[in-house]
Amino acid sequence: MSDNKKWYSLDLGLNNKKESSGTCGCGKTEGSCNSSPKEEELSADEFYEAAINASIGEERHRDGFEQVFDVKMDRRSAFKKLTASLLIGAGAVTTSCSVTTGSDTKEKAQIDWEEQFKGNYKLMTDEEKQGTINRLMRSYELRTHKKINMTAENAAEDVLFGYAFNISKCQGYMNCVSACVEENNQDRNSEMQYIRIHEMKDGEGFKFNKADDNYYHEVPAEGHFYMGTQCFHCDNPPCVEVCPVQATWKEEDGLVVIDYDWCVGCRYCMAACPYDGRRFNWSKPEVPEQEVNKNQHYLGNRMRKKGVMEKCTFCVQRTRKGKNPACVEACPTGARIFGNLLDPDSTIRWVLENKKVFRLKEDLGTEPKFWYFMD
Amino acid sequence: MGTFKVFKSLVIDSLDTITKGSKRYHLWMGFLTLVMLIGMYCYSIQLEEGLSATGMSDRVSWGLYISNFTFLVGVAAAAVMLVMPTYVLKDLDFKQAVLIGEGLAVAALIMCLAFVVADMGEPSVLWHMIPGIGVFNFPNSMLTWDVIVLNGYLFINISIPFYILFKHYQNKEAKKSVYVPGAILSVFWAVGIHLVTAFLYQGLQARPFWNNALLGPRFLASAFAAGPSLIILILAIIRSFTAFKIEDKTIKKIAMIVTVAAQINLIMLISELFKEFYAPTHHSESAYYLFFGLHGKNALLPWIWTAIPLNVLATVLLTFNKLRNNLKVLYFCCFILFVAIWIEKGFGLIVPGFIPGPYGKIVEYLPTGVEIGVTIGIWALGAFVFTILAKTAIGIELGELYYKDKNTST
Amino acid sequence: MKNRTLIYLVVLLLGGTLISCKEKEGEYHSISDKIEAESKPYHGNLTSDELLVDTELIKITEGENTFLIPERKSQIKSFACIECHSKPLSEMAGTDIQKAHWDIKLSHANGDAMNCATCHNGSNMNNLNSLTGKDIDFNLSYKICSQCHSNQFEDWKGGAHGKKVAGWAPPRASNTCVNCHNPHSPSFEKRWPVQFNTKTAIERNEGLDH
Repeated sequence: MSDNKKWYSLDLGLNNKKESSGTCGCGKTEGSCNSSPKEEELSADEFYEAAINASIGEERHRDGFEQVFDVKMDRRSAFKKLTASLLIGAGAVTTSCSVTTGSDTKEKAQIDWEEQFKGNYKLMTDEEKQGTINRLMRSYELRTHKKINMTAENAAEDVLFGYAFNISKCQGYMNCVSACVEENNQDRNSEMQYIRIHEMKDGEGFKFNKADDNYYHEVPAEGHFYMGTQCFHCDNPPCVEVCPVQATWKEEDGLVVIDYDWCVGCRYCMAACPYDGRRFNWSKPEVPEQEVNKNQHYLGNRMRKKGVMEKCTFCVQRTRKGKNPACVEACPTGARIFGNLLDPDSTIRWVLENKKVFRLKEDLGTEPKFWYFMD
Repeated sequence: MGTFKVFKSLVIDSLDTITKGSKRYHLWMGFLTLVMLIGMYCYSIQLEEGLSATGMSDRVSWGLYISNFTFLVGVAAAAVMLVMPTYVLKDLDFKQAVLIGEGLAVAALIMCLAFVVADMGEPSVLWHMIPGIGVFNFPNSMLTWDVIVLNGYLFINISIPFYILFKHYQNKEAKKSVYVPGAILSVFWAVGIHLVTAFLYQGLQARPFWNNALLGPRFLASAFAAGPSLIILILAIIRSFTAFKIEDKTIKKIAMIVTVAAQINLIMLISELFKEFYAPTHHSESAYYLFFGLHGKNALLPWIWTAIPLNVLATVLLTFNKLRNNLKVLYFCCFILFVAIWIEKGFGLIVPGFIPGPYGKIVEYLPTGVEIGVTIGIWALGAFVFTILAKTAIGIELGELYYKDKNTST
Repeated sequence: MKNRTLIYLVVLLLGGTLISCKEKEGEYHSISDKIEAESKPYHGNLTSDELLVDTELIKITEGENTFLIPERKSQIKSFACIECHSKPLSEMAGTDIQKAHWDIKLSHANGDAMNCATCHNGSNMNNLNSLTGKDIDFNLSYKICSQCHSNQFEDWKGGAHGKKVAGWAPPRASNTCVNCHNPHSPSFEKRWPVQFNTKTAIERNEGLDH
């Protein structure tokens, strides 16, 4: 399996370190060897910063012709960055070789290096998945001295998640919205939210453009009804089709997920989504340390970085353990039904078979797995 | 080994050429470098803060960068309008212009790629897009098609002129059997890059403003108006600043191309407007927003109402032979046509696609200073690249630059 | 020479178009086809047993549905009721004993249709009382509600009404009526939404003011 991996991986692991402890592992770039004493003095964050600078920010220090041809070109700059990153990697190795640096800094650099060049999660074997979540957990511990628990459960057999929303029941309290934000570690600065609750006027039908999805008054308001939207986890998702690097895909259990570390941030999926299901990290997402939900899944609520997409995952970290998504659990009115579409005895199946259900924009052929119904 | 020696000599000679020139030339290059440095600085801010440094939001998630990208793909494709008559139809009038056109295509493509990279949220992992090393979602994603065709077109447009110039540099005649197939390929390819870029938008069922069958053809028509307009303007500049000889006949022929393309473009515009406004559905809301504003939000009105009259005026003026053959009027028309199409095919196309959003919500878009800085920087980069290419090419074509074989000269 | 190149190109173009035709990976026409085809045979093995260990549950069978509901009696603070209601209600009324349930106000149905005795049996407070006077165990209080709310009862049995106790995975454990509704005042009250998104408000109202 690992022989026909579809990405490029560099074997620069800790095993390498042992052999090269005397000679410095970098060999080919003397420059970074010599400059290593400087780097050793850097604190962890500074090193990280420097690494980022070196990989993507170096055009700042260039001039004239070089600057013109070396910057911002698709493939060329990608190669360029690859070499730049190789240099950092070499630097990282030298750092890890040196005796004077703290072992934490070494380890951090090692983790950053491996994370930068890991493959697409979708194509990883189970061991590789375990490897990356171990690194991510360790990295979090090194940075914050707090432990998190991250898992990489795969889709269970014979499970296809589906969701039903009872329009008659929803009263617009928005408990689901805040539960979702807390569960999924969404950026507090930009107040990112996956769920929108649309307040619609009775008698006007589904007029989304006239609906208010950011109301603040006593609810339920007279003469209005409420309708929630989020990612519908389409069975034929247009967002997945358009992603140029397969950073987003549909899992076996029907969840449409994103590998935050593989996403290049082109936002094509966002343009392709007819349901406003996707959110982009326009700046670095921040969650106060004490509010971080530490039960995480690689594809779910782990901490994101700036410049990548994210979206509702039906709380993959919960649902793959048999729990309900946070929104379902938080809903005080029971308007949200969640379950396994393949289980003939599940309540979601009963809803689909016995209630009058419909979906939004069905004519687009996206086959959402999110139904609406009324009492 | 001989070829390599010639190549080395060519590089040295061209470096020599591009670093020497009149005071005006140095001022121009200095100015471009300064603008590029400003753009670079703006980009560094964007890298630091993330794309929040731009005016884009979850609602309007593509802005000035992608607008310019779209427009420039058209400019690049337009080079073919000169290639076809020269190499395929054997109309020699264009021979001088075609090198300029291909140089322009190269510059435009470099700008395109720069705009795409500038638009990326996570440029440090762009290697994920390299086939073989990363994961390339081909053929499902139109963006991967675009990457392929743009880079392929860049390669063609570098290699053909390079081959010809390389031969001329050695005072040899370029072999037709070598470059003509490439030229024919590039004709198809140019149509391809623009259609594929249109399909990028056209294929999104989520955005009714883009999801219409006319988008691709209209891309082509407007590109073949805007691109050659720019070529005419550049030829005019080259004519007046260098010894490179370009005949009036050539310019007038290109003007003919511009005219026909502009006319077709206008017809398509009318057809589009008819469809959107005669029997408006809620899919026409984006067009309403663009032309009349929606719910009091009307940021694009001044732009589009500049573009449409300019477009119509230019097309009408160009239609009359007498006016078109007057070079002053022609240059003016080309300029306003270029501006009009830049607005219309740029953010006049991209921004309304996102407004209103999937649930009818409107958030307007206005680029920030950082974004404008990066954009201007990239345009300066394009001008810089083009100047270098054109100066070398002109030098070779004028015979100022030629290979001095040491064996024979000493 | 030129012709051959042209033919070659056309073939290439056609080939490209063919390859690019999206091959659908799912063999199903729609999601309902997929559900139907893939759910038999069903042998999912995830359970929510672990999530339910802390809740005391009882198994009920109503019509075709068999599922778990939370046990109720242990949740009622003053159960068993006969510890105070040692005599029938009619005999206790009017005495000077401190009133225990003074705060309960019935805002359920119209007073003509319903009073305390509709559900409670004055002479046997340990059980509820059906419309026909039969005893209903407190643990099965849904039977009281289902006498009038038959539509809700149907939906609840099937799973369209009400919430699950813990997770989606089998076994099914659903909350019963009184876990969400106060039987004396069953409707949900008006209140303010729990949050307001200031960033969205700014984005939409001010729009272009950066």
